[in-house]
Amino acid sequence: MRARRIGGAVLAAAAVAAAGACGVAGAGEDSVASKDELVIGVNPDQPGVGARDGRGGYEGFDIDVAREVAKRLGVPRGNVEFKEVSSATREKMLDGGDVDMVVASYSITPERKRSVTFAGPYYVAHQDILVRASDAASVGNVRDLKGRALCKVPGSVSFPRVHDERGVAADPVEAKGYEGCLDLLSSGSLDAVSTDDLILAGLAARSAERGGKPLRFVNAPFSDEPYGIGVRRGDVDGCEAVNKAITGMYQDGTAVKLLRASFGRTDLKITTTVPQFEGCD
Amino acid sequence: MTVVPQGTPAGPPAAPPPNGPPAQNGAGTGAQPAQNGAPGAAGVARPSRLELQRRAAARRPTGVARLLPRTVSGRVRTLAGAAVLVLVAVLAIAWSAIANARDGVRVIGHDAGPQVVTTGDLYFQLTDMDAQLANALLNGAGAGRDQALARYDQDRRKAGDALLKAANLADEATEKSTQKGAEKGTEEATARDLLDAFVRYERLAGQALLTDQRSERGAGPVRDEAMTLYRQATDLMKLDLLPKAYNLTLDNGTLVRHTYESKKSAVQTGRAWTLGVGALLLIVLVALQLYLAARFRRLLNPALAVATLGALALTAAAGVVLTGQTDHLRKAKEDGFDSMLALSRARAIGVSANADQTRFLLDPDRADTYEQVFLSKSQSVLYLAAGNLKAYNDALQKSAQEERPKILGFLGDERAHSSLPGQPRAFAKVVDDWRRYQRDDRTIRNLASSGQRAQAVAARAASARAFTAYDASLNELVAIHRTAFDGAVAEADDGTSGWYAVLPVAGLVIAALVLLGVRPRLTEYR
Repeated sequence: MRARRIGGAVLAAAAVAAAGACGVAGAGEDSVASKDELVIGVNPDQPGVGARDGRGGYEGFDIDVAREVAKRLGVPRGNVEFKEVSSATREKMLDGGDVDMVVASYSITPERKRSVTFAGPYYVAHQDILVRASDAASVGNVRDLKGRALCKVPGSVSFPRVHDERGVAADPVEAKGYEGCLDLLSSGSLDAVSTDDLILAGLAARSAERGGKPLRFVNAPFSDEPYGIGVRRGDVDGCEAVNKAITGMYQDGTAVKLLRASFGRTDLKITTTVPQFEGCD
Repeated sequence: MTVVPQGTPAGPPAAPPPNGPPAQNGAGTGAQPAQNGAPGAAGVARPSRLELQRRAAARRPTGVARLLPRTVSGRVRTLAGAAVLVLVAVLAIAWSAIANARDGVRVIGHDAGPQVVTTGDLYFQLTDMDAQLANALLNGAGAGRDQALARYDQDRRKAGDALLKAANLADEATEKSTQKGAEKGTEEATARDLLDAFVRYERLAGQALLTDQRSERGAGPVRDEAMTLYRQATDLMKLDLLPKAYNLTLDNGTLVRHTYESKKSAVQTGRAWTLGVGALLLIVLVALQLYLAARFRRLLNPALAVATLGALALTAAAGVVLTGQTDHLRKAKEDGFDSMLALSRARAIGVSANADQTRFLLDPDRADTYEQVFLSKSQSVLYLAAGNLKAYNDALQKSAQEERPKILGFLGDERAHSSLPGQPRAFAKVVDDWRRYQRDDRTIRNLASSGQRAQAVAARAASARAFTAYDASLNELVAIHRTAFDGAVAEADDGTSGWYAVLPVAGLVIAALVLLGVRPRLTEYR
């Protein structure tokens, strides 16, 4: 009798130990790798990259990449929800769980890596300059921005890249987003907009559509902007799964198809090979 | 006086399956009646224990209970049979746990670990190939060119070797991910694309060199053609080969992390089960001993006692070995592999930053980009908050005066491993050499920005030496982790080497002792 009771206790203990071990292995339900639904943070005001489509949805290269990655993570299209983020709110919204993932022309930088885990980059853009065609002759590279009114979007690295990194004393004029910059440039309150070539290409196309003042690409890139997909800090499983999805997108030609769809008609020279990943730690 | 009371005949203790949860009822309730009124009917009072026993007794000759032994010899046989069954279960569980541990050691210790070092070297060799190709083309015919080509060939051979190994491992990673039903084959495809790009690079390089030879030195359209071919080659290297080589290194890290997590938990679960079922085995053996003692009025059954001690020793030893295995795996991963991976990455990033320094001088049109990338890569290696490269260098030089400067990045993480012998000294040397390299870099850039290009190019030689020194120190640091890694892997190998023989032999001996112990008693009933 007693023997059997002890036997039962031992078995129970073994079962508890085994269950405990399973609990450890199963931790990580919070990872984007194992979610059935995804809320993805995107930009609303970067034509060609990430923008409202006028029908209540979003369109652009980032949106296409986000959908494709979600699909490869096993999340059906109907379970993907887009939420607007801005350069200033991205980190907070990821951290607070308002969004699971951010695909929003989000350059990987050493500073940002301290608060966000980055998968990718899925593309390496280059910072360039957009000016009114009438000024094109006087702006040949980043140094010519000295003393000129340059758009500054809070949270974006573009202005600091000119002002701090290159040490060019441009005058900051704040705008909420890059579409705002475009309006200011057209109205003459600004001399130049400097940010990633992908975004500038979209802005120039948008301006042409609207019949605004002719704009000109300076075409003197001065930085590498590795566009990462931000996931919550420490979600290594999710980050690795997203990297695998990106690798797959390049291997089967999807990435190039998406790039061509968004930028094929612009003058941009597109890179068609998978970028060097940042690593998930 | 029996150990098993009349009312509830002893059910054979069910040996739990090695992987599932234990049988629902444990050992105690096998003979309890299943039907006591409508199951799940609300409001029906649970029958008292006595009542249950009465019902069980009344029902005894029918149902499941009829299968249970009622004679003494039958009970002895059942208990002995149960002991052997549980023994087989212990052996099977321990076997599988040890197999898991060995598999983990194989992947981490013998495949991926050394591989990480190899792909780290691959990045270095590929970058150097490209640099030597440029040297050969710039030098024109002569000793300088021959030297550059000799080094190019040397790099190429090593890179080809490393690529082959990388392809093997990618194959394994692919197998694993395919088993999990995940998207298949991205690692293998990366390795294949890498080989393909390597061959294309070789072709372009060969064409560039041939065209250059035909041009008989100096400028001219043929020479321009050679430079066009070179640019195609170097673009291929920068945009295609190097990123893929780096991503393959990251894939190794992923493979090891997954293997480690799953094997660690498998070994720990296996250990819990081994100990649990081992305890059950002891209980069955002691129960048999007690039953025999009571029934046959003997003090001790020596064979059975030895079997019990043997089972105790076996269970304890298996527990100790498995605990040791998780420890060796942890050491191999955390003290060895993780650092080897991080430092390999630091090395690759540093090597490419160094190449960007050269490009900064050679290609003034894109100098801004090369400088920004150089800062970003430098901060990946050793992070200090700084808005631009000059501020970074200032902060870095200032940090030399601090006792324990607050640094992040690959080298920042590495500081946590100061418990390894020799590590603190080697680590300090790496940081010092990095500081020196960055200081020389500052000199170059200051000269370049003040229009002294020729002096800047001349200063590049000193900076190149500083980089070589830094790279050598970094390799020494990697070697310290490699030693720790190899040590843990060797211990893990030794720890389990004999166990595939020990388990069956111990099993046979214990089973034989049990049979030896009960046989004379059973013959009394013949």
